[in-house]
Amino acid sequence: MSSTTATAAPPALMTLAPDNWKLAILVGLAVSVIAAITFPASVSFWIVGAMAALVAAAFVVNAFRRKYYGGLLVAPAIAVLFVMNIFPLLWSLGLSFFAYQSNNQSIRFVGLNNYIKALTNDLAAEANWNALVNTAMFVVFTVAAQMVVGFLLALLFAKQFPLRKYLLILVLTPMMLSVVASGVFFTYYYDPTFGILSYIMGNITGEQFILMDNKLGAVAGIVFADAWMWSPFVMLLVLAGLVSVPKYLYEAAAIDRVSGWRQFWTITFPYIRGLLMLALLFRTIEAFKLADLVILLTKGGNDTMTISYHLIRIANEQNKTSEGAAISYLMLFMVIVLTNLYLYLANRRSHGA
Amino acid sequence: MTVMTKMKGFATAAGFAATLMVGGASIASAEDVVLTMAVPDWPPTRIMKKFFDEQYKPASGNKVTLDVDFIPWPDFYTRVNASLTSGEKKYNFIVSDSQWLGAFVEGGYFRKINDLLEADPAFMETFKSIHPNPLNAYSTYPHKSENYYGFPQFPDVLVNFARKDIICHDEEQKNFQAKYNKKLPCTGEELDAMTWDDFKNVGEFFQRKKGDMLAGAPAEDDFYGIAYQAGKGYDFSSMQINGFIWQMGGNTWDETQIPNGQAEGVVNSPEAVAALEKYLSLIQYMPPVAKTGTMDIFKSDELFREGKVAMNINWIGLGEASLDPNSSKVSDKLVFGQMPGTMGADGKMIRWSNIGGQPFVLTTWTTDAQIKEAVEFVKWWLSSEIQHQFAAGGGQSAVKSVYEDPKYVTYRPWNRAWAPQLDWQKDVWHVPQFFELLTQQQDQFDLAITGKQDAKTTLDNVAKFQQNLLTEAGLIQ
Repeated sequence: MSSTTATAAPPALMTLAPDNWKLAILVGLAVSVIAAITFPASVSFWIVGAMAALVAAAFVVNAFRRKYYGGLLVAPAIAVLFVMNIFPLLWSLGLSFFAYQSNNQSIRFVGLNNYIKALTNDLAAEANWNALVNTAMFVVFTVAAQMVVGFLLALLFAKQFPLRKYLLILVLTPMMLSVVASGVFFTYYYDPTFGILSYIMGNITGEQFILMDNKLGAVAGIVFADAWMWSPFVMLLVLAGLVSVPKYLYEAAAIDRVSGWRQFWTITFPYIRGLLMLALLFRTIEAFKLADLVILLTKGGNDTMTISYHLIRIANEQNKTSEGAAISYLMLFMVIVLTNLYLYLANRRSHGA
Repeated sequence: MTVMTKMKGFATAAGFAATLMVGGASIASAEDVVLTMAVPDWPPTRIMKKFFDEQYKPASGNKVTLDVDFIPWPDFYTRVNASLTSGEKKYNFIVSDSQWLGAFVEGGYFRKINDLLEADPAFMETFKSIHPNPLNAYSTYPHKSENYYGFPQFPDVLVNFARKDIICHDEEQKNFQAKYNKKLPCTGEELDAMTWDDFKNVGEFFQRKKGDMLAGAPAEDDFYGIAYQAGKGYDFSSMQINGFIWQMGGNTWDETQIPNGQAEGVVNSPEAVAALEKYLSLIQYMPPVAKTGTMDIFKSDELFREGKVAMNINWIGLGEASLDPNSSKVSDKLVFGQMPGTMGADGKMIRWSNIGGQPFVLTTWTTDAQIKEAVEFVKWWLSSEIQHQFAAGGGQSAVKSVYEDPKYVTYRPWNRAWAPQLDWQKDVWHVPQFFELLTQQQDQFDLAITGKQDAKTTLDNVAKFQQNLLTEAGLIQ
């Protein structure tokens, strides 16, 4: 090939060429608009999709001819991201402005009504708010429990002792179990008739013990089950940090007769802080989505409804797709604000150190 | 090429194309018809599949296959709902809870079957021989209209499961008589005659701690007199509470009175509040799990099979497991009666109860060839012989000539309660808003069951919500 060094000039706007992405965009837009007006939604959807594919193809050919190989290499990833994430996200954003139920063929534009309902309707808004408060409560309790237990476990397993390897495997098992399996396990564990917890408590106090018949007990039950499952995850991350601390630092500290407490804060902690932050971020995001354990243990009873379970009921069980989409977007907004706030604080602290 | 041959060619091609389309699910030759069916995974549907595979010979000579998707009960609604609303058009037949009719008919998924019935007088006759209560509940939309949608797959009612070894024990009989000046019910007939007050007495009487004497021996574990559904999930309290409300003169929102029937003032009427109070007052005598809001029909069944309760009100559909020694510690000690009733002012027993069970329905995308075979299959299914076999194998039949046959009561011990109960079955909410009505009501009932709010507040909240939702939907004016 003679043209390996020189790239071809981009085609003029109106030339019919496979790499003319500007023309492809123009044609795509025009065809899409016409299709959206003339055809029913079920047909125009695919026409618009085909136009998007056409534009994407033009971009690819263009990149190939202009030798933007870097762009070409990430293109598949971007395509998957678009199809699987960005498109559904935008689609549901669009849906949130309509009155649409998935078990009903009718669709009607209602503007911001779904958002207004989610925020101000005396029945719906109260339920949303309540679920959100409960979710915040679960985030605080479950993450705090996991961080503390996981951290202590990591400190324990950072030392060498007999049977450590086997105990470590045992401690990691809950994390590998499916949530449903451990949920069912805990329903029996807490069951007042069949469960061992009520049996032991009954023998100690002489009175019948029912854990899940009040909010405190139900929350404690869910938090315990969640912490049981996910503390090992925090432990793994922290343990990785602990073993990466160079031994000579401790040896030097020992020579200087530095106290154990000071050793921890000046040597160990700086090494594991990044990983702790990572564990905190992961677990917070996960805890925000808590639904499975709640469904299995209480069905949202005793005021343990979380926002995720609330959403499942609205969007999937009651088929109120667009209302669910509106609530999801409000949630997404909150999560983005919170995450940014968190990252900002975390960065500021690491700069300050 | 003449016009004629062109036409012929076109017809052949169209026929070929049609065959290909019909054969989307089926394969190979044109005579293969596959009927795809979504059913909950439990004995009544397993038996149907078994009968079909072993016995069904289609009259048309086609090779008909029933491709059944057995879905576990807890996932059943979610899976069916997802399949229908996603538009995948996978199933030809769907076993549907009766209350789903409105939502899925309005959505355009369930096929009206009036034309099929009218085209076939024999079929119509069989269809009309189904008891009117299950027929209305399982098949009509709007409720009690002449628009038909479903065929009974497994009709079901609530019955009283009781432990003979406990309630017929001489010592217990004597003590009960001394305490309440009434005979402790022991036989099926005596169980039938029970009111909720008698049921309460049984609950109070049989509350035993571990080590207390129970039927002549120390109890191995805490023991309880009674149980019924009181769970937050799906409809696991509404189905019991509705019966209380109807028996005591109250009412639920009545869909046959659209658009004039109100929710406020009806749902929270003083009679309904008193009925809910009665329901709640019995929970203290039940296994403690009832106080956590998780005693659904499966939990109370499990407690009964594990021998922790003397009497349990539950669906017949869950009964097979209690008779099976592999899954039940009480399999040889059972006696069954009708669900307790309420004594009317005229001295007659009022027995209203919420119907259970499921119809199966045809979906709108089922092709003509499939419909032809489907109708043949349903006719076969509702035929006297197969219904008898089904009942003998652990199913139930709502076809009059079948359940009135003297043989019928001999099939299963609870069958003696079946025919008399059918006359007292009602149903609720075949409207598209069913799921919203149900989840809100279940949430509210759960608050009452777990002692967070009283009956009045509960029904006021339910009534307010229903009035609001149904007015918005145009069903109340």
